[in-house]
Amino acid sequence: MTTTNQRGQQLRQIVRINEEIKKVIATAFTINLMAMNAIFLAKRAGTAALGFGVLSNELRRFAIDLQKQMANLSEMTYESVSTVTALLKQARLNRTLETTLDVCSGLGKGLVKHALDSRLNGILADRQEQSDAVNRRLSQMIADTVQLVELGSVLARSAKIEAAYGGNLSVSLTQVSSDFEQSISEIQGSLEKLTKHHFEESAA
Amino acid sequence: MKTAETIFEDGGHKWIAIVRDPKRPPYIIDTNEYLIVQDDDAILCDPGGSEIFPAVFSALSAEFDPSRIRALFSSHQDPDIISSLSMWVEFNPDIKCYLSWLWAGFVSHFGGTEQTFVVIPDAGMDIFVGGLRLQAIPAHYLHSSGNLHLYDPKARILFSGDVGAALLPPGEEGLFVENFDHHIQHAEGFHRRWMGSEKAKRDWCERVSRLEIDLLCPQHGAIYRGEDVGRFIDWFANLEVGILKS
Repeated sequence: MTTTNQRGQQLRQIVRINEEIKKVIATAFTINLMAMNAIFLAKRAGTAALGFGVLSNELRRFAIDLQKQMANLSEMTYESVSTVTALLKQARLNRTLETTLDVCSGLGKGLVKHALDSRLNGILADRQEQSDAVNRRLSQMIADTVQLVELGSVLARSAKIEAAYGGNLSVSLTQVSSDFEQSISEIQGSLEKLTKHHFEESAA
Repeated sequence: MKTAETIFEDGGHKWIAIVRDPKRPPYIIDTNEYLIVQDDDAILCDPGGSEIFPAVFSALSAEFDPSRIRALFSSHQDPDIISSLSMWVEFNPDIKCYLSWLWAGFVSHFGGTEQTFVVIPDAGMDIFVGGLRLQAIPAHYLHSSGNLHLYDPKARILFSGDVGAALLPPGEEGLFVENFDHHIQHAEGFHRRWMGSEKAKRDWCERVSRLEIDLLCPQHGAIYRGEDVGRFIDWFANLEVGILKS
């Protein structure tokens, strides 16, 4: 059975997940700006940087999708906080009543036992199930995000290759594509941490 | 576990004090709870904190069916007074909690619904328990800014919340005050620090001294009975309060 300490640990992990989400959102915002800049650069480079321009557009779309995905993830963590809090509250109530059952005699013992058996243990199981369901959805959403960022990584690598054909702006385009790569690598780092926190939260 | 002691009984009219828990962790202040019974109906005064709910509920249920407790009286908003509210609501979702209008929005953080709270105006009000008339009387600023005591004119008992409270040392934890002069030293520091208003104190002493009181029952410490009730009121009237003294 999950203990109160473990549920407290779950709350702490959710806070850490949220911190990583905030970092990813900030980086995605930066990628969006970088991509806009890259689109202008590609236009200046002309036909030599057509491929780079297409990829910059794709990277911008990726940044927008990632921001949306992270906003959804953030909402999901809020839901997770709500379900874990409700679970904690119910668990505390049940625990107090179980202590009461242990020390009680007479009329009260029957009342407490009835309340636990007929209602409160069921409510606690429901709360646990709700929390597990949110956890499963959160896992799926994190997996989808990892996949999305993998696509971003591929786009950044392709942009680096395309930058080599950028004519007289090749150096600038290579620099921009390296920045893309660096930013996406930061996001991957955050997602790794986020996945680890989520794994620890689920295991708690 | 706490013990339930009947301190007044007249037919179906009873006062049961729930007191002293030898297993109470030392970091939790000891509290007294009082159950006022009239036939099949009852009101519990200052039901206590959630941490001591098992001890209170167990002691109480040895004497009375807890599902018949129709109401709670909360002298003020402190956690040691009413943080067990959600537990009592579990057993009786229709239970009422009488308390100062000032605190309803705050105490609801401990539990209950909008229907749970019956707010008491500053001037106090009558509360009926199984046909028995009890009087919620003002004790504002003693110590809480919205504070009420509960007087039972028939039993001549005043539940006085934190007024009269004493922090008793181990070995001196009797239910009643036996030696007033010795006992009051355990009440002095508490009253000086916690009671914040001289004016409110004088007003309370003046009003309460006109009531017929055989037992003055505080939320902490021992119960004053007989002549010790008057002694306490006189002592309190002359005590300088609202000061920080090292």
